[in-house]
Amino acid sequence: MSATTFHTLEEAVDDEHYPEVDLALRRGRHIGRDDGTMYEYLVDAQALLEKLYRRFGCELIQQSDGYFYLLPSGDRLGRRHLSAGEMLVGQTLALLYLDPTTLQYGGIVVREVVLQRLSALLGADVLVRTLEPRRRSKYDERVAAELVRTKVSDALRHLADLGFVDLLDEVRLRLRPALMRFAEPVRGLGDRSAALERLVRAGEVVVDDGEHRGEEDAGTEEVSP
Amino acid sequence: MTFAPSHEPNRVIASLARDQVTLDLKTVELCFLAGLYLRADKAALASFEEDVLVDMFEQVCDVVEPGAENPRKRATHSIQRLREQRMLARVDGAGIVRAGDYALTTLAAAIVQYFLADEALTRESLTLLTGTLGAQLAQVLSAAKKVADAEAWRSEVSAPLRVTVSELVSGIERRQRGLDAQQEEVQAEIAELLQSDWFSAVDRCQLLLDTMTSTLDELNAILLRDTHLFVAFLLEIQGLATAAENRDAEETVQRVIEHVDRIAAWGRARQQAWSEYYQYVHRYLRDVVRLDPDRALSQRLRDQTAAWPASPYHLVVAHAPSIRLLRPPEARVERPPVARPRTEREADPAWVEREDVHADLEALVARAIDEGAATLAEVSARVLPELPASQHYASAGRIADAVGRLARVHGEHERPWTPVLARLEVEDWTVDGSDPA
Repeated sequence: MSATTFHTLEEAVDDEHYPEVDLALRRGRHIGRDDGTMYEYLVDAQALLEKLYRRFGCELIQQSDGYFYLLPSGDRLGRRHLSAGEMLVGQTLALLYLDPTTLQYGGIVVREVVLQRLSALLGADVLVRTLEPRRRSKYDERVAAELVRTKVSDALRHLADLGFVDLLDEVRLRLRPALMRFAEPVRGLGDRSAALERLVRAGEVVVDDGEHRGEEDAGTEEVSP
Repeated sequence: MTFAPSHEPNRVIASLARDQVTLDLKTVELCFLAGLYLRADKAALASFEEDVLVDMFEQVCDVVEPGAENPRKRATHSIQRLREQRMLARVDGAGIVRAGDYALTTLAAAIVQYFLADEALTRESLTLLTGTLGAQLAQVLSAAKKVADAEAWRSEVSAPLRVTVSELVSGIERRQRGLDAQQEEVQAEIAELLQSDWFSAVDRCQLLLDTMTSTLDELNAILLRDTHLFVAFLLEIQGLATAAENRDAEETVQRVIEHVDRIAAWGRARQQAWSEYYQYVHRYLRDVVRLDPDRALSQRLRDQTAAWPASPYHLVVAHAPSIRLLRPPEARVERPPVARPRTEREADPAWVEREDVHADLEALVARAIDEGAATLAEVSARVLPELPASQHYASAGRIADAVGRLARVHGEHERPWTPVLARLEVEDWTVDGSDPA
């Protein structure tokens, strides 16, 4: 397909891919090259769809890593922020995506590696208290390990729904380029705080000022009216 | 390789498990086998005398484990272990009369061949193999057109297909496995290059990728073209076998066709898998390595993740709820109230037989005591037959209660268990006449 496939919005909306792509984008999915014709459709219809979604108070974003997503800037379309579990797992997966060792297996990793890396980065204690902030008392090690596995499993399922990974089976998952969104605050060489401020202004991230703590499981910030 | 019908996987696995087959080869033993194999190959030896074995083991030991003590004793142990694992076989049959002659078994030869052979599929080896296979099949086809009887079918069609053609096809398959191993090595090499040299390794990685890609492309093109030709030959032979009603030849051809199909499928699957890997690595080199030549991003992301619990932030994503589908309208169903027909449920009282089991029981107990029953067991034995069998167990307790109230009883410290009728036992008391109180 060439960039001139669609001349009018009517043609773009009339295309067989539109309903599927539209629904996926509105549900927060990141559509990448791995999605085949859905991605190609977006590349072809990008200019026309950008205008369409702007009327809904959203930006259709295309990143250089090769994926699209919808970023609501107003309150016309629902939006949510990712939970603590999703953020931690997402950043860990992004680290694995950057690791040449993962490259050897074509971007496929097993869940155990994700858990190992996460635990090595944060330590079991911080990990448990971040994933389950309501748990104040001293925790039993076995119960805590079970809790972490459950939270990580939930996070992986949600991240798969959002197009950050593909769950191949019970054990293996394939990393997708959209994971680089988690590395966005540190991609430039400048100050991380400044980068974060820029992302907050753009509506890409929300900073947790304590308001969101304790309600991480929900992860829903606001929904459409 | 084609399995004979008796070599069904389930049976083979069960048989191996039953025999508890294991293989345990130490490096020195593997080297020993390799040394024997090479010597046999070079000197065209069919077997080795025992002294030659020991001598070879000592030479290998000098290289693999220099300074090892008592190599001759170790040689004896190793030869015994290899015999137990069916890698060395004694072939002279002289028993204890003289030192034996030994030969490598096919198992040992296969293991050594695996380590010695550098049999990856190359354009040259594949072209040679497919060319030979094509010629062989043409020859079999020509024979199939001429043969007249069953014996001729067996010797000129089935046998060449089973032996020569199957060997050639297995040869291609073996080299395919070699290429698989080579691919894995390339993938590991690319990862290692990037791990150690990062940005400087980009060009070398690209070269490795391109080389393997072109190799696979060439091989797949040859496989596609030639397997098509092989299947055409084989189908023609199968048609002739069917016409001649030769089931054996038909089945043999069918097995070879399946084998050839597997080879073609391998080509397609590997090319597809490599294509995905190629694209993934290519994107990685372009989006990750080239954009981060100093490899600083990983470290910064690691720091960010470690510090995230202290200063958290959250990505925002669209979250439109699913479209709510309303149920189709349906007419309200009036449910009838729960009801039953009116009827007179109060019945007039009726006269029944008097029933006072406790009073009856007490009277029976009193009578038994008066008649001179001297123990609880005796009282029970006299009273219970008067009662229905279903009440015997429950009544035994009530009898003890009545005896306690109606008579003076005396119990030993260890009260004996005494049988009562056929199915009961009671802890016995001595009953000492009616209690005057």
